[in-house]
Amino acid sequence: MGRFIARRLVAASIQVLVVTLIAYMLFYVISAVTGASPAQRVAGHGATPEQVARVAHLLGLDTPWYSQYWRFLVGVVHGDFGYSFQQRLPVAELLLPAAGVTASLVVGAAILWMLIAIPVGLVGALRPKSAWDRVSAIAVQIAISAPVFWVAPMLAYLLAYQPSQGKLFGLSIPPITFFPIQGYVPMSQSVSGWAISLTLPWLALAVGFAAFYARFVRAFTLEQLGEEYVLVARAKGASTPRILSTHIAPIIAPAIITLLGLDVGATLGGALFVEVTFGLPGLGYMAFSAIQNLDYPLTIGVITFAALMAVLANTVADIAQATLDPRVRIAGGVGNRADGRLR
Amino acid sequence: MIDNLHPLGSTRYGFGIRPQPSAGNPTLDTSFHSWEVDVDPEVDREDDLSSRGSARSLSFDNQLVEVWNARLHGNCHGWHGLTISASELYAAVVEEGPAARGAFENFWRRFRHDYVGLTCLGFLALFVLAATIGAPLVAALTAHGVIQQFPAGITMDGFPLPPWSHALTSTDAQDPNGPFFILGTDRLGRDVLVRLLYGARISLIVALAATGGALLIGVPLGLCAGYFGGKFDTVVGRAVEIAMAFPSMLFAIGLAAVIGPGLLNVIFVIVLFSWYYPARMVRSAVVALKGEPFIEAAVSVGSGHRRIMFRHLLPQLTAPLIVYATGIIAANVLFEAGLSFLGLGVPLPTPSWGQMLSEGVAEGLYRIAPWAAIVPGIALVLTTLALNQLGDSLRDALAPRGRG
Repeated sequence: MGRFIARRLVAASIQVLVVTLIAYMLFYVISAVTGASPAQRVAGHGATPEQVARVAHLLGLDTPWYSQYWRFLVGVVHGDFGYSFQQRLPVAELLLPAAGVTASLVVGAAILWMLIAIPVGLVGALRPKSAWDRVSAIAVQIAISAPVFWVAPMLAYLLAYQPSQGKLFGLSIPPITFFPIQGYVPMSQSVSGWAISLTLPWLALAVGFAAFYARFVRAFTLEQLGEEYVLVARAKGASTPRILSTHIAPIIAPAIITLLGLDVGATLGGALFVEVTFGLPGLGYMAFSAIQNLDYPLTIGVITFAALMAVLANTVADIAQATLDPRVRIAGGVGNRADGRLR
Repeated sequence: MIDNLHPLGSTRYGFGIRPQPSAGNPTLDTSFHSWEVDVDPEVDREDDLSSRGSARSLSFDNQLVEVWNARLHGNCHGWHGLTISASELYAAVVEEGPAARGAFENFWRRFRHDYVGLTCLGFLALFVLAATIGAPLVAALTAHGVIQQFPAGITMDGFPLPPWSHALTSTDAQDPNGPFFILGTDRLGRDVLVRLLYGARISLIVALAATGGALLIGVPLGLCAGYFGGKFDTVVGRAVEIAMAFPSMLFAIGLAAVIGPGLLNVIFVIVLFSWYYPARMVRSAVVALKGEPFIEAAVSVGSGHRRIMFRHLLPQLTAPLIVYATGIIAANVLFEAGLSFLGLGVPLPTPSWGQMLSEGVAEGLYRIAPWAAIVPGIALVLTTLALNQLGDSLRDALAPRGRG
């Protein structure tokens, strides 16, 4: 077991190293070739070549990229992610609050999507081919197909803007503002304000995932319901809720929890579209504006952080699986299943 | 004539009716007039795909005959106490011939009853038609250019026109003689319908090219990794693991921002973040198939590696690859739209759905003109929906449950 964990951790560190190395090469080598110079950007449009050279020297941009990379790596080990060109602040100081926003978005959305997915999936599995199952299958297919960058403004329109204009799904109501259309209220300011400001983002992020998980729950449960132990339990007079809770849940829960961990880990690196459409100052939004401003230290800081989160989630999932299932230890891990879906 | 029925019991006989090999009477006696069909009335055959391929028993004259596919004739739809006349049976067996069906025929026989799948296929055919022929046709019929801005196509306050409206007069009233906009106009007074149709081209080109690129890289890699194993497999496996650890959307926008917008660049970025899906799928399938007897047989007759991989293994993977590719196309349509939504897709003023959507959302335009976000969004959702559902339908028709 110890050997397995050690091997897994080595693989994980190699993954993070390669991701950051490629990020470095991408932003420093390719951008040098295409002429997008961050030093020019920082110095301003009217700067003389001397001033640009001075800025480049001050930022360490005149050294070769591999020595910059080495300095970056040494810094990361010490918890120092560099210094943002644009915001003139240490990247670590910017990352922390943004990570908090993203975490509150992702964790809340994860709770919401599980609350939707489990009942929908279970009812579908218990009554396959029923009207409910068919309707939910259609809804699931639509939710999977709808891109989050369309769902988000539609939710904002239907649930935030229209009620404020005295309309709700075509009905006339007294104008109320349920949710703000954009913006974020920190939890330290007001807990209820925080929850209200995040309700629509939670919903927007949860819709697609809820559909995926409803499918998983339905498929896993349906598979287990056909097993003989369920027949035995029924023969002994166990009720359906009892079969679900004491027989099936312990079997399917590890698989679902593993998937959940992987998805949450991958999304913790930034729910880009939801953050951009709702103006939440999370990691995705920060990375997006950093990329547009050629703020490379900040960009690479977010990418490193996101890769760390995803790899960490994978590693924890692998180790947890290996603890539960010794076969994994020999086969070498369940592999990475978190993918970069459009979130 | 009866002798023609002799190979009935052979496994080549894939479609219809196979008499139980009974001692002393290997041939079929056609002197009967009707067959009593014994079926399970509980099974809703229209719905249960798994029952489509399963055996049904027919009894006649103490002879048990199995009916594989009772859809052989139209009259088999009514179930209980169904009869098939001897002449029909004879016609089915002798005239249609006992030859095994091809893979495509098998697939089509199942797929043609899947109305949802057929609808999706029809919709996608329409989509392709609209993108290729429809776009210039509509542009010519309406005489609206794809980047033509109509000053009368926006209100005094600069808001776009809703669907089904005429261009405006100087007093913001509809001018019945002015240009007509079926899907309204955008913020710059351009015809949304024409832009939507031309945007479909971008979606189509990017999604197909990127998926083709991903398959072209991923399939050979996965094939070789699974087939040869060893060091190569380890290297490919590590590469896939690392590629999946990338925060792909962040990286994609970074790359798109660095190499600049452009059709080829968008395709390149998408290929870079989708090759590993087919690679992983093909690898695991090849590992599972490698131990099968047909590969052993190919090796034993002296087939080379390349022949085994491309003539024996790859054809086995056609069905899952088609299903998989459909899903990847759907994902890539959304990927392209996402990049365009962030302003990193094809350069302006070429229309694309993601960019139209982002224009509709930008500065809260959708609050005053919801259709600006609804129209491209619906186009996007319908296309992805059709692709996803087609993928599911194809999976059911290509490899129904209970048939492996």
